[in-house]
Amino acid sequence: MSTQNRFDLGGWASSYRETLSENWFAYLLILPVLAFLVLLMWLPFAQGFYMSFNDWPFGGEPAWVGLENYRFLFDWEPFYTSLRATLVFSLTTVLQLGVALVAALAVREIRRGKSFVTGVFLISYTVPPLVTGTIWAYLLQPDLGPIFGYLTQWGLLEETIYWGSDGGASLGVILFVTTWTFWPFMFLIISASLESIPEELYESARMYGAGRVQTFLRVTLPQLKSAILVALSIRIIWNMTKISQVLQLTNGGPGYDTSILAVLLYRFAYGQGRMGVAYAVGVILLVMTIGFVFIFIREFERTSEDPQ
Amino acid sequence: MSTDDFDVTAVTLKATTYGVISFLVLFNLVVLAFIFSVSFMPPSEFFGAPHIIPQNPTLDAWTSGFEELQDNLVNSFLIGLGTTVVALAISIPGAYAFARKEFYGKRAGFYAIISAMMFPYILLVIPIMDLWNDLGLYNTIPGMIIAYQVFVTPFAIWILRDFFAKLPTDIEEAAQVYGCTQFTAFLRVILPLATPGIVAVGFLAFLTGWNDFLFANLLTTGTGPVPAVPVLYGTIGGGSGERVYWGKLMAETLIIGTPPTILYLVARNYLENAFTV
Repeated sequence: MSTQNRFDLGGWASSYRETLSENWFAYLLILPVLAFLVLLMWLPFAQGFYMSFNDWPFGGEPAWVGLENYRFLFDWEPFYTSLRATLVFSLTTVLQLGVALVAALAVREIRRGKSFVTGVFLISYTVPPLVTGTIWAYLLQPDLGPIFGYLTQWGLLEETIYWGSDGGASLGVILFVTTWTFWPFMFLIISASLESIPEELYESARMYGAGRVQTFLRVTLPQLKSAILVALSIRIIWNMTKISQVLQLTNGGPGYDTSILAVLLYRFAYGQGRMGVAYAVGVILLVMTIGFVFIFIREFERTSEDPQ
Repeated sequence: MSTDDFDVTAVTLKATTYGVISFLVLFNLVVLAFIFSVSFMPPSEFFGAPHIIPQNPTLDAWTSGFEELQDNLVNSFLIGLGTTVVALAISIPGAYAFARKEFYGKRAGFYAIISAMMFPYILLVIPIMDLWNDLGLYNTIPGMIIAYQVFVTPFAIWILRDFFAKLPTDIEEAAQVYGCTQFTAFLRVILPLATPGIVAVGFLAFLTGWNDFLFANLLTTGTGPVPAVPVLYGTIGGGSGERVYWGKLMAETLIIGTPPTILYLVARNYLENAFTV
């Protein structure tokens, strides 16, 4: 094939047979990736989806129960606690965006020390989330941890807060830790997009006498829109499915107050061995997140159509 | 008046900029400094008034932490390395095809892969556990390496496709004119030019293998090759922390967190380019 290529170089595009063999080669190249994804994603998902209609004890034989698992969930009080926790928890994505946007705009302004600053920013994102979860579990430990220790020592707090037994406070803690851990991801995407805004746009904005606020609203923000939407849709889904920090900090408790859907899935599967119900929770989670996939694809498409 | 106004906003803006940056930098550095310092405290120092400088510094936390983790760290390293090698082997050809070949079904195929990035991975763990059990991959290092591909390859295809697409269109043909075959043109011309993308993907793949908790915890049991991260979960598991020797735990967080941080510092220049959306 290789020698043929060399000789047919002039006419290869017009030759139908050659085009076919080009195609055949391309399919061969993408085959491994597709095969892995079918094996690791679509097959397991199909199996799991089927299992959500079964009573499936861990290690046992599944028995068809129809919609029973779903009916059980919708009649079960803690499921709504979990749904509410999921919605509150998804605020972390907004907070991450806020911090990332402000940080990216600030970093663009500074002249020196840029690489040091971004390096320090990224620390929380590069280490395993479970590690940062453990660090905050210590720092925020009510009896021995330094944060409440200092706050009570300085008289800012009467006494330490046992946030682990208070649903709202626990949710606050996991919101804070998740935001602190993952905002650098959005920062990376927004910074990269900020760097790629052509200088001419700012020059013409200046020529037309646009102020800072106007320049930001009319030039910077529209140019960042796609990057922000891509980052948002990825993060919304990833935040909702990351469970390690929640498990480390609260174990989903007290009760089910911090059991976001992904944690609920985990608790059904590994706490109780009820795989069918666990998977029903998963299917509900998927339905809640699937809309973002389309936003993501649309914006992704938009950026690849007109590369700046 | 108007110039005065202008100066005021400019100064405020500058002050806010530096304020924001110093706050975020200091926040991270203080946390880091605290963890580092605490890891030298003996267990008794954790009671009583909080302080940042250890009164009786000891290396106990570090030595016992290392001892507890050494086998797991080796597992983590092998898993990270394997994930990287396999991810590159399967995604480089795929990304190349998506960037530089025309074929029927290209768009659909690309989005089928990219949108996998948006799949709630936690849904995959249960069926993969089951499947791995049947295939004999449960509780093995190769089992985890293969499972991680579902996280890594969509990302890898995204980043690498952009790198391959940016190269001049007729570069392979030019190489072929000079006597390269399609394959050697790819190997000697395209691949070296895409090095930054490959480094970025390699880093992300290693990071996934090293950092993950979900699969690491659920695809292994105590008797198997457990990576380092789940060990950390085992020790406190949900915050009930009175009997925990926090110094050792903090030493362990530093031990587990250091390799990815060093790798990041090495790979960072490549990463910043890789994330252009």
